Amino acid sequence: MAQDSVLSDELLHHLMAVGHVDVLVGVPTLNNAGTIRLVVKAVHQAFARYFPRDRTVLINSDGGSNDGTPNLVRNASADDTETLTVSHSLRTVHRISTPYHGVPGKGNALRQIMTAAELTQARAVAVLNADVSSITPEGIASLVRPVRDQQYDYVAPVYRRHPLEGPLVTQLIRPLMRAAYGWQIREPLAPEFGCSNRFVTHCLEQDVWDSELGRVGIDLWVTGEALAGSFRCCQTGVSPHPATSSRTPFGELFGQIVSTAFACLERHATYWIGRNGSESLPLTTPLPSSSVEAPATDGSRLTEAFARDLQNLQSVLEPILSQDTLTSLTRLAEKQGSHIRYHDDLWVATVYEFLLAYQRGVMRREHIVQALAPLYLGRTGSFLRQYSSAPEAEVDEALESLSREFERLKPDLIQHWHRSPR
Amino acid sequence: MSSPLPLSVPAPQPLWYKDAVIYQLHVKTFADSNGDGIGDFKGLSSKLDYLTDLGVSCLWLLPMYPSPFRDDGYDIADYYSIHPSYGTLDDFREFLDAAHARRLRVVTELMLNHTSDQHAWFKEARSSRDNPRRDWYVWSDTDDRYSGVRIIFVDIERSNWAWDPESKAYYWHRFFSHQPDLNYDNPAVRDEMWNVMKFWLGLGVDGFRVDAVPYLIERENTTCEGLPETHDVIKFLRTQLDAHFPDRMLLAEANQPELVRSYFGDGDEFHMAFHFPLMTRMFMAVRLEDRKPLVEVIERTPEIPETCQWGIFLRNHDELTLEMVTDVERAYMIDEYAHDPVARIYLGIRRRLAPLLDGDRRRIELMNGMLMSMPGSPIIYYGDEIGMGDNIYLGDRNGVRTPMQWSGGWNAGFSTTDPERLAQPVISNPLFGYQAVNVESQKRSEHSLLNWMRRLIAVRKSSPVFSRGSTTFLKPANHRVLAYLRTLDKEQVLCVYNLSSSAQAVELDLQSLAGALPIEMFGRSLFPRIGELSYMLTLGPYAFFWFKLRRF
Repeated sequence: MAQDSVLSDELLHHLMAVGHVDVLVGVPTLNNAGTIRLVVKAVHQAFARYFPRDRTVLINSDGGSNDGTPNLVRNASADDTETLTVSHSLRTVHRISTPYHGVPGKGNALRQIMTAAELTQARAVAVLNADVSSITPEGIASLVRPVRDQQYDYVAPVYRRHPLEGPLVTQLIRPLMRAAYGWQIREPLAPEFGCSNRFVTHCLEQDVWDSELGRVGIDLWVTGEALAGSFRCCQTGVSPHPATSSRTPFGELFGQIVSTAFACLERHATYWIGRNGSESLPLTTPLPSSSVEAPATDGSRLTEAFARDLQNLQSVLEPILSQDTLTSLTRLAEKQGSHIRYHDDLWVATVYEFLLAYQRGVMRREHIVQALAPLYLGRTGSFLRQYSSAPEAEVDEALESLSREFERLKPDLIQHWHRSPR
Repeated sequence: MSSPLPLSVPAPQPLWYKDAVIYQLHVKTFADSNGDGIGDFKGLSSKLDYLTDLGVSCLWLLPMYPSPFRDDGYDIADYYSIHPSYGTLDDFREFLDAAHARRLRVVTELMLNHTSDQHAWFKEARSSRDNPRRDWYVWSDTDDRYSGVRIIFVDIERSNWAWDPESKAYYWHRFFSHQPDLNYDNPAVRDEMWNVMKFWLGLGVDGFRVDAVPYLIERENTTCEGLPETHDVIKFLRTQLDAHFPDRMLLAEANQPELVRSYFGDGDEFHMAFHFPLMTRMFMAVRLEDRKPLVEVIERTPEIPETCQWGIFLRNHDELTLEMVTDVERAYMIDEYAHDPVARIYLGIRRRLAPLLDGDRRRIELMNGMLMSMPGSPIIYYGDEIGMGDNIYLGDRNGVRTPMQWSGGWNAGFSTTDPERLAQPVISNPLFGYQAVNVESQKRSEHSLLNWMRRLIAVRKSSPVFSRGSTTFLKPANHRVLAYLRTLDKEQVLCVYNLSSSAQAVELDLQSLAGALPIEMFGRSLFPRIGELSYMLTLGPYAFFWFKLRRF
């Protein structure tokens, strides 16, 4: 059993004492001393305010922090938790901090949390991001309640954020996942989610945990499993988008995310090939109405990088892209940075052709993914320059248009997918 | 040889109430000797051997005074005699002597705060504004004095003022409008109440359960509850009591957790007070299967003077009050214990112990086990020792005041009258009815609840550690297990309870007790000696252990 290697005797000991629970909140950590106290406080406030009658447990799965994160979780004082809350948990609130074993990475932390959820027969599970201080008790409750009260299996967060923010999501992952899986999910990369015990059991049965996908791409994989399985999914407004500063360099991060997205699409091909168009997911809690500022953008710098890098990548791109696409891109790169307009149809064709190349394995897969990075910068730079001063609604409409373009061209992807050697 | 004490006065035994196991009963519904359908003192006297055999050491009688019975006797019409339906003063004296002869103490009710509107004092007071008794009650020409003071019976009363058409003025009442509050700003009222107490103490009564303590004095811009002047009245009565009847006891009914400590004063007000929050949280803990509410409430319980004691209980003659819990807690208790809206009354639940626990013998035992080992003097409500049921359709709280079920025969053995004439109908449903639940049949079964309760009380009384010892909670990781150590001098008892419906394993940190040998107090079974490592125990659903810790 997978659980045998995931659970330490100490954790098992704790779980025996905890027994069955109604709500389990998991927090994977790695050196989060700066934010973890706020996260723990929010969890306890959520337990007290919204689930005072429920059997609850907070499980912190730590990847070997050397900044005292586990101790901060264990020693969160009463002042940090219940006495500050208006309400009061009727039951004992359990709090466990435990190291996970095996390869470092969020995958093993999540596996440990899910194993604990399965053993404690948690009715509802929420996994939180320890790296942010903006999580609220209301946000946590909104991840739990649809599972606990409405029998949803998977709850994805929706953040209130400016449409120009997070271009890797808005330009690539969101529209690609939407077109492929046929579900209009806004934050497929979110590190937070809520889920049912049924979904937990399903995830634990998958052979992903010891793979690269499990190590670096677990968030997107979880989303993909939820959308591709027979699970009831919904979205919920949680809070303004957390301001995080990734510790991973852009190139590496881009590679991890796109590799994960392509790997997921490969795993779930039998599901998404049969899907046409897209459906919205129910929004169980409306988005907070707070206003958000547009991020400071510098599209020109990105398009200039695109134009420069494209010249150097010709030989790498030739086996990946069709002649038409490559020609169009080459012409685009010949223009001055400020005149580059990387249109939706060309961008979608680019992404789909990269996906097909990834599937065919025309070269080492990490090289394929890396080669997409400058093109992504070109597309993003083009978009940012075009919409940097546009009203939010106009940017939203442009993003919606992009998503529809991904959907419109999906038949071409499917057609070539079928022809691709496996 | 010194001369023997009068029969009706037990040998002086200071602090007897700290070791008492109290049995609360209603004369009206306990035993009827003359076949009129109403219990009486002769009937009660005939059942004293039963109570002695049960092992209780003190009887608390619900009101026995003449009364129009619009509040089940809490509306007193005469403080100096016995309600004729219950017998005569001589019958009461005989009962008191018989109880004392069996070493049973007797505590009666004292309603300080209000009388019935049928009391002669109130009749005089309302007869004219000039009547000398007028100032014995609280009057006003308007109904806006003391505005904002809460109304206790919110389901029934709309105001704390009622209009008296006779004297054309409003009178103050914190309870029902037929129960006018006495005016303790008038020293004559205070003095008269001491006369009332002297009368009964002189007969041999061992103490009073004092009703509605916080409400004696009213002041503008206050809650009119627990005011300093109210404490002055209590101190006056206590001083008199100590001076004239030194080993008698006063028990306060005051249920506001934040104020109740104050009624002990510096040991110069009440000897005892009810621990209402503990009662609520015992029910909550068992339903939640989590010790948290119990541990919290005990740890928050303030220290009380050495000569004082808590009165602890599971159920009584009133509703299971949820007045002093949070909204979240109240909603939980209502949802879990009062599915049927008819079971709800005021801010509480009008059910007896056994129906509250779905007749589950294991939970009834668990709750009684906790009651008997918690810090305080336990109070058993009549009939709960056999698991009697209730009738929530009888109106007000009458459903928990039905006749004691002595046998499966005529009227449950309570009375020989026609069933239609009974003061209250007997419980007759298939689950809790008298044919299924009665003293006679339970006496015959070694494993009946009644006989189990006898053993429980006997074990409780076998060690003063339960009544006078300190309490230290152990907090094992398993929250479904409640464990605490009772300690008195060198004597120690370890109490461990499984609050859940499933078997539980628990590891107790007993390092400080290493070397002690646990002896289970019911079966006297030896358990493994406590060592340096965690002490492992497994408990079946709702099971509990009391271990006497010995060193050999």
